[in-house]
Amino acid sequence: MIDGVVNDILVTSIIKFVKVLPILIVAVVASQVVKGYLSHRKISSKFKESESNIAKASAVGIMTPGPLMAFLPLLKDFKKKGLPLSIVAAFITGQAMIGPMRLFLESSYFGVMFFVYKVILAFFIAIAIGTCFVFLEKKIKF
Amino acid sequence: MYAFKRVFEGSIKEFKFLLPIFFLSVVVAVLIERFIPSDFIFAVLGDNLFIAVPLAAFIGVVLPIPRYATYPVAFALFTKGASIGVIFALIAGEVICENIIGDVMEAKFFGLKYFTVRLLLSIVFISIGGFVMEVLL
Repeated sequence: MIDGVVNDILVTSIIKFVKVLPILIVAVVASQVVKGYLSHRKISSKFKESESNIAKASAVGIMTPGPLMAFLPLLKDFKKKGLPLSIVAAFITGQAMIGPMRLFLESSYFGVMFFVYKVILAFFIAIAIGTCFVFLEKKIKF
Repeated sequence: MYAFKRVFEGSIKEFKFLLPIFFLSVVVAVLIERFIPSDFIFAVLGDNLFIAVPLAAFIGVVLPIPRYATYPVAFALFTKGASIGVIFALIAGEVICENIIGDVMEAKFFGLKYFTVRLLLSIVFISIGGFVMEVLL
């Protein structure tokens, strides 16, 4: 009885996994292509341009592919040179919420419009968090 | 040729990390579909949005769910009656605290106070985003 249930769960899982595999492959390869195209140096120069603009930092964050961890040392260096935490927070929030892989996975699971709205909302959420930090930086010593 | 090699190697590396996690999350999704009644999921994550959306954002933020593993589980919850705003909050929240090493690095580089404030602000604004998504879709 239990064996049958376990077997059934495993078979269903494998079928579902195989169905989603092509999307996963496209998503992974696409994210690697984008990552290769947008080099660290390119993003770094874009980031320098957005030093005093929360909206620009959010947009650059959203457009930046790859794991956030790779950008943290860069952000730390910028902060040492005087970059406000509001810009760091806006960039990190935007970067974490959107990525090329998410485009394929979210579109296939919840529809293209879900992803489109999520990009727009992520942009405003990153700006909102950055703006809160502008005010908080005056009141709290981080 | 070098670019192709880099894309290929990067993809293989990503797959090695992603495939086992994704398969496990598909198994969890199937378990949800089989064993958790739709009525229960609707009652917790679909009925009262003013509780469900912030709850989903909080769960997404605090649970260290691996990257991309939320999707099959979120889809299973969605098909069982969770609202789209809740799904948004869960998926958007998941990325805020997705990697413990990254989180430690962030807290170390910019301060624990900054990290905590960013986390709390994320829960608040992602919840608001969830309500907006509910209206949009």
